[in-house]
Amino acid sequence: MAATLESATSEKSSYSRYENLTQLDQIKDAYEYLCKQEDAVNSELDVQLQKQSALESKMLSLHSMLPNLQLVQNDAKQLEGMISFTSTLAENVSSKVRQLDLAKGRVTACIQRVEDILDLKFCTDGVQTALQDEDYEKAAAHIHRFLTLDENVLRMSEDASEGSALETSFSLLHEAQTKLKQIVHSKFDAAVHSGDVASVERFFKIFPLIGQHEEGLAKFSKYLCAQLADTAEKNLDLAFRTQSDDSRASVLYADTITLLFESIARVVEIHQPLVETYYGPGMLFTMVQYLQKECDRQSRKILEQFKKNREFEMKAQQVQQCLMYQKVNSDKVDPKDLDLLLAEVTLLNTRAELYLRFTRRRITNDMESKDQSDEIREEKLMEIDQFILNCELSRLMQELIGNYIMMEEYFMREMVIKAVNMDQVEENSLTSSMVDDTFFIIKKCVRRALSSSSVDGVCAMLNHACSTLEQDLCDIIKSRLRQGFPSGFDFTQAYNLVQSSIQSGRFQSADVETDKAKSAFLTTLNNAEVSCECIQTLKSNLEEEVSKLYSSVNEQSMAKLMSCLSDLAAVSNRFKDALEFGFSQLNSSASKPRIKPCIDLFMSTSHNITEDEFTNYEANDPWVQNFIINLDSLLQMFKNALTPTNYDTLVSHVCTEVASQLEKATMKTTFNRLGGLQYDKELRALVGYLTSVTTWTIRDKFARLTQMATILNLERVTEILDYWGPNSGPLTWRLTPAEVRQVLSLRIDFRSEDIKRLKL
Amino acid sequence: MWKMEDYKYLFKVVLIGNAGVGKTCLVRRFTQGLFPPGQGATIGVDFMIKTVEIDGERVKLQIWDTAGQERFRSITQSYYRSANALIVVYDISCQPTFDCLPQWLNEIEMYANTKVLKYLVGNKSDRVNLREIPRYIGEDFSQRHDMKFLETSAKEADNVEKLFMEIAKQLTLQARQNDLRPYTSESTDRLDGGSSPISSYGCCKL
Ligand SMILES: Nc1nc2c(ncn2[C@@H]2O[C@H](COP(=O)(O)OP(=O)(O)OP(=O)(O)O)[C@@H](O)[C@H]2O)c(=O)[nH]1
Ligand SMILES: [Mg+2]
Repeated sequence: MAATLESATSEKSSYSRYENLTQLDQIKDAYEYLCKQEDAVNSELDVQLQKQSALESKMLSLHSMLPNLQLVQNDAKQLEGMISFTSTLAENVSSKVRQLDLAKGRVTACIQRVEDILDLKFCTDGVQTALQDEDYEKAAAHIHRFLTLDENVLRMSEDASEGSALETSFSLLHEAQTKLKQIVHSKFDAAVHSGDVASVERFFKIFPLIGQHEEGLAKFSKYLCAQLADTAEKNLDLAFRTQSDDSRASVLYADTITLLFESIARVVEIHQPLVETYYGPGMLFTMVQYLQKECDRQSRKILEQFKKNREFEMKAQQVQQCLMYQKVNSDKVDPKDLDLLLAEVTLLNTRAELYLRFTRRRITNDMESKDQSDEIREEKLMEIDQFILNCELSRLMQELIGNYIMMEEYFMREMVIKAVNMDQVEENSLTSSMVDDTFFIIKKCVRRALSSSSVDGVCAMLNHACSTLEQDLCDIIKSRLRQGFPSGFDFTQAYNLVQSSIQSGRFQSADVETDKAKSAFLTTLNNAEVSCECIQTLKSNLEEEVSKLYSSVNEQSMAKLMSCLSDLAAVSNRFKDALEFGFSQLNSSASKPRIKPCIDLFMSTSHNITEDEFTNYEANDPWVQNFIINLDSLLQMFKNALTPTNYDTLVSHVCTEVASQLEKATMKTTFNRLGGLQYDKELRALVGYLTSVTTWTIRDKFARLTQMATILNLERVTEILDYWGPNSGPLTWRLTPAEVRQVLSLRIDFRSEDIKRLKL
Repeated sequence: MWKMEDYKYLFKVVLIGNAGVGKTCLVRRFTQGLFPPGQGATIGVDFMIKTVEIDGERVKLQIWDTAGQERFRSITQSYYRSANALIVVYDISCQPTFDCLPQWLNEIEMYANTKVLKYLVGNKSDRVNLREIPRYIGEDFSQRHDMKFLETSAKEADNVEKLFMEIAKQLTLQARQNDLRPYTSESTDRLDGGSSPISSYGCCKL
């Protein structure tokens, strides 16, 4: 429609345009245009007219629908009415249901109460007959049922007649409860008295039914304790009568205390299910507290006997005296007398440790299985830990271990001192006896401490082992090394040796004495080296044992053990220091004086030589073969007297010394081209020889000299540039540019201007 | 179990003193920042670690908290020798703990390295009304025995941080000076010392 309108207006405006047309052509055009427009309008009209019938039929169907709609509207109104009615109805019904529910609940409660009252009556009657029949389980079950009833609630339903009946029931039941309590207590006591195990257990189970948990556990525990005490007494008696030649005689008290622990563990094992079933979880702790008291008592007895008969405290005191005032030998406690005693102490402690761990685990598990808030559980578990840590048995053991540590330290130290004093060199042995002996003793003592299961004890012994190694072995080694290696030409030393041998009554030639001193020095050097190895072995062995034996200790304890173990490694550094010092001694008194004359010979050999001289040198070596022979005789002298590692160390020191002296000498020598060549040959021979006598690489020590030889061997000054800077290839220069120039200037045929002009 | 950790120095600090003077509380205050309620007596020796920073370098303090009770004495004594620093603690509100100090010093004399750094600490300084040992008495004692002195309160966190940090700082300083003195095989000064048996291995440099 809009389109038509639009075209109408546009037509209107175009009419005025057409009216003004004056040219024929224009008129023709306009006409043609208008014709086209007419055609278009016509066709559009046709299209619109075609739609007419469809529209009409649609209108018709709408008309026919109209009455139906009214119908629907009425139906909807009806429906709405019905729904609101239903909802009100439902509301009514449900409120009634609620009321009904409430009523039902009250009825149930009422029935419950009636039942309770009936039960109460039933219990009242039942308990009487049960008591008469001496059926205490039944009576107790009635009381137990009565105890689950809420007395106050029942009293609320009080009504005149009913009330008095209830009241009688209550009082009867209370009476019965008291009576039953008395009966159970006295019957239990009687059963205990007559040793009637079945009855004891029978009444033990009744206590919790009548609300007597604590009392029941207390009584029963006391009964168990008495039995434990009996057995313990018998065992101790038996121990007294054991012959001293019995194979277990030396660990008698450890055996006796083990029997005690085992019997307690057995009691816990047997009665734990009983307690759990009849008293509920979390009650084992109460029982164990009673049992522990007996355990403490019996342990104390056994330990008192142990201390008395083994003279433990007396020996401990004597040892303490020895430690405090460095006593003279005769007054000293013989460490060997402590050996067996110490073993027994560790056994005592490890048994106690095992027992306490068992007990702790049992009560902890029982406590954890109890249904209670996390907070209370934590608190209870802490209480258990404190209980274990502070029970008398723990305290007694701590005291024992305290004394043990002191005596074990004494034993270790004295034995080591003895081993050092009795030091001997066996034939064909590179080390002397003191190293093996010392490590044997230390290992024995630390392992004995390990067998005690006391983490603090082990740590303390590890600490003491470190001290002993350092003070009683390493310091001795150091002081021996400090005396130095006697050089053959040292007359003052020889004189002193003669003096001392005269004084000691045995006169020996100075030579023999010197030889002895020499070999003693080398043995000591070997001792130092072997000690380092022994410490490593000891440490790794102990680590292995600790991780095997102490795998179940807590993180804190493990950290302590590891820390103390790692201190052992630090001690080996002290031995390394000693070793290093010993080699410096050996170097200054043996190697240096031997090398010096050979270097002098080098200095006196001309390296500014003619072709003839060069050829002559080839036939008659001027110095280096002599040097090698000298070095070889020096090294051969030591080779068989030193451990392989020490021998290699010696070679390494000799190499350092040779390199340093030769370098100094070289810097004072002048060379020509052939001299340089000769020098290169000599150095190769020397390095070749030294390489052949050791398993270590020593080339590095000669790196500077080799580079000097390269420089001395150059054709021209500038040839150095073929090896320098970017052309150095794999070669790392150990010489500074200044040193290179200095070496170049040793060549008399190189001009100093050329050297100065070099850009390095 | 021991991983290589990132620290420059490791020092051992050992606390000694009568039972109940508050050694464990001091250590817990420093390492965990708390004052433990219902602290039970220490059994044997406890061991704690705290790494601190001194002049930008990480320093690890290995703190050994010993039991004051007599029966643990032989165990605790074994730790003296390798200690870099010893802290002797008394309780300012308890005269007997102060009276025992000579005994503790005696033990140090017998077992510890002569060069050990010694601190005297009067703990529980918060108990103003119960004080039995005036500050100057403690200070005077410390001076006579070549010890550094501090009064602390583990409860109020007073001077606790300062105590341990001072120790860490001084030990670091010492260790650095030792580093500066290079060891050569010729030098005998480490071997002369019967008097200083352990100095070098007490501090492990990594
Ligand atoms: N008022 C006060 N009480 C403290 C302070 N430090 C510790 N205590 C209390 O002193 C008691 C003993 O503290 P511990 O730290 O267990 O003493 P300890 O020296 O470790 O004792 P042992 O382990 O037996 O040698 C505890 O009851 C603490 O609460 C303090 O600074 N002020
Ligand atoms: Mg403590």
